[in-house]
Amino acid sequence: MENLTFESVNPGDVLPPFIRSVSQETFWKYAVASFDYNPVHNDPEWVKTAQPFKIPFTVGHGMMTMSFMTTLVTNWALPSMLQIRKIVSKFTRPVELGWEIICTGVVSEKHFITKGKNFVVVDVKAENRQGDLLALSEIEVVFPD
Amino acid sequence: MSQADLAKYFKTEKQLKFSTDFFTDAENYEVWDEIDFSDLQEVEGENTFEIKAEDIKFYAEGGLDDNPLMNDEEYARKSPFGGLVAHPIFITTICFWCVGVKGKGNWIRTPGARNPGQVLEIYEYFKVGETIHVKMKPHDRYIKRGKCYLQYQMNAFNQDKVLKCRMYATLILPRTRQDIRKFLKGIRGLSD
Repeated sequence: MENLTFESVNPGDVLPPFIRSVSQETFWKYAVASFDYNPVHNDPEWVKTAQPFKIPFTVGHGMMTMSFMTTLVTNWALPSMLQIRKIVSKFTRPVELGWEIICTGVVSEKHFITKGKNFVVVDVKAENRQGDLLALSEIEVVFPD
Repeated sequence: MSQADLAKYFKTEKQLKFSTDFFTDAENYEVWDEIDFSDLQEVEGENTFEIKAEDIKFYAEGGLDDNPLMNDEEYARKSPFGGLVAHPIFITTICFWCVGVKGKGNWIRTPGARNPGQVLEIYEYFKVGETIHVKMKPHDRYIKRGKCYLQYQMNAFNQDKVLKCRMYATLILPRTRQDIRKFLKGIRGLSD
C-alpha cells in the first residue's frame, strides 16, 4: 500500500469503500463488543411493541455504523501511521436487518498548519444498497511528519 | 434475548461480568427532566477499565473490522505501532463499562434511547496495559423538533492522568421517569 504523506493527499482523493452486511447476529455481537445492550438492538420481542424508531423490529447500533465509517478511514490511515483526531457523526436513518452497509469517503479539506499538525478532513457517508443515506461523518486525520 | 442466549458470544473476562440487562436498574437511571444542571461538577465513573488484548481484539471482531493491527498481536507487535491499536470507537466499550449502573451518566443505558450522532476527540489511541477511568459532567440538554436531547462530556484518562479521548455523548431520551416506565412495559414512551 502506498505510504501517505501530507504532500501526496489532496481534496477529492477517494478512499477505498468499506462494505458489510448486517444481521441480528451482527447486532448481538456488536452489543457484546460495546456493552451497549439497549433492547432496541437486542430484543426482537420487546421492540415489536415498544418501537422507539416507530418500526417493530430491531435496528443496528449507531456506534456500529460509526465504527464502520471510521474503519474506512483507519484502513486508509493506519498503515501510514496517521492519527485519527476527531470524529463528528450524525445518524439519519436506523440500520435495518439484512441490509448491506456501504461506506464511502472522500478527502474534503486540507489544513496547512505546521509540520506535525497538518491535517485533512475525510467526509464519509453510509448508505444501504438502495442508496438511502444512513449516516454522515467528518473525520480529521493528522499527519505526524 | 436473554443473558444466557447472549452468553454464547462472550469471549472476554469483562463480558462475563457485565450485565446484559438494562431493565433491572432502570429506576435508578438519571432522567432527562430531573438532571441538575446547576451542578456541573465532574464526577468519576463507577469502574476503571484495564485494557487487555482480548478487549481490543473483540471490539474489532464485533465491528466486523479485520484490520490485523487490531486483531493480530504478532502482526501489530512487528508494526511501527509496536502493539495492538484499539479501534477509535472502542471508547464506547470503555464508557459503558466505566459509567456503570448506579452512578452519574447511567442514562446511556435507558431503554428507548436513540442515538442522533456523536462527537469524539482522540488524543492518543488506547493501548493494552493501560487502566482507563472516565470523568464526566453534564454538557447540554435541549429540545429540537420535539425530541429531548441530553449530552454529557466524558473524558477518558489513563493511569498517568493523560487525557486519551473526549466524547460528547449524546442521546435522544424519554423525557420523564413515567415515559421510561412505559418503555419498561414494552409501550412506546416518546411523543414524537
